[in-house]
Amino acid sequence: MNFSDETVMAYADGELDAARRAALEAAMATDPQLAQRVARHLALRARLRAALDPVLDAPLPERLLASVRGAPKHTANVVALKRQAAPRWSWPQWGAIAASLVGGALLGPLLLRAPAGPALLTRDGQVPASGALARALNEQLASHQPPGAPVQIGVSFRARNGDYCRTFVLGEQSTLAGLACRGHEAWRLEVLAQTPVQPAAAAGYRPAGSALPASVARTLDELIAGEPLDAAGEAAARSRGWQP
Amino acid sequence: MLLPRLRRFARALTADVNDADDLVQIAVERALTRGAQLRPDAPLSSWMFGIVRNAWLDELRARGRRARLFAPEESAEQIGDASQGAHADLLAVQEALARLPEEQRAAVALVLIEGLSYKEAAHIMEVPIGTLTSRLARGREALQEMLGETTGALR
Repeated sequence: MNFSDETVMAYADGELDAARRAALEAAMATDPQLAQRVARHLALRARLRAALDPVLDAPLPERLLASVRGAPKHTANVVALKRQAAPRWSWPQWGAIAASLVGGALLGPLLLRAPAGPALLTRDGQVPASGALARALNEQLASHQPPGAPVQIGVSFRARNGDYCRTFVLGEQSTLAGLACRGHEAWRLEVLAQTPVQPAAAAGYRPAGSALPASVARTLDELIAGEPLDAAGEAAARSRGWQP
Repeated sequence: MLLPRLRRFARALTADVNDADDLVQIAVERALTRGAQLRPDAPLSSWMFGIVRNAWLDELRARGRRARLFAPEESAEQIGDASQGAHADLLAVQEALARLPEEQRAAVALVLIEGLSYKEAAHIMEVPIGTLTSRLARGREALQEMLGETTGALR
């Protein structure tokens, strides 16, 4: 069987459906030339990635960080000066974009510049959770989520420094997700980001840990020590007030 | 964290570290003032890649050298003192990418470097999937030829 260049390319890019993929893989086993055509595509991709991936680990220049940090100041002033005028967009959306851009490290300064929203509050350069979010983080168990609750808890776990941390999704539209860790007095937000869109999500039920934005998942990976807590471990941690 | 990926994408588009960071900065500023245009059904990353790419097209138009970005003189100096293999390879790849027509370069950057699907890449470039795949195929062929020839010389 002959495979067009277009098909070979689509195979290398993971774009073939299962049947055509299987057919090509079967043919590759007996056709070294076909295997070589595929390998050539994969080698080019690997070469490009090897050359450019170091950019991912390079330190971010201050001016880029400043552009993310500095932008909302203007928005916040506009909101403060013209209270009657509706802002062009709400701060959670701005916060979500900014958080996705830079991850958790800068979220404190970012939210300090944004107007306070209904579920979150900023204080002393940290970002403690308050309101419904703080209540859910304190009380709600992943194994017993009230239907229609404004906050859905994902996974609970111990961080490497011993603190308890939990992931959560906010809002009925589930457009924001984040991760908070329990300090002595309050839950601190480590990261907050826009959730991936899930058109076919089953209503009212979200498996723990799914639908997490990459920035939240990455923060989880960075912080977690061992495995997430099971239902018993979660209940035990709650009864100790989430103190290590 | 999206910012490093935007930098990588911008580096592939511009082939220049300063241009790339200028581009990301412009795109971030545009994104943060245009948040209302973020469509709830489109992933944030696609939206941002689209903003970066459109900002780059604007820049190329402004520079009046839209079709082709020549290798600037400072790159030649960098090649001269680039003894490490990794850095030499980055320069070789950047130079090869820079020689592609912009639409082929964007297709290669989105699919081969950023790992997006044809559908996502076509959406970002605002072209049909068939157009995207033909640009991708031509870009690949050209890169194979250029990099196949230059690898030995630079290593």
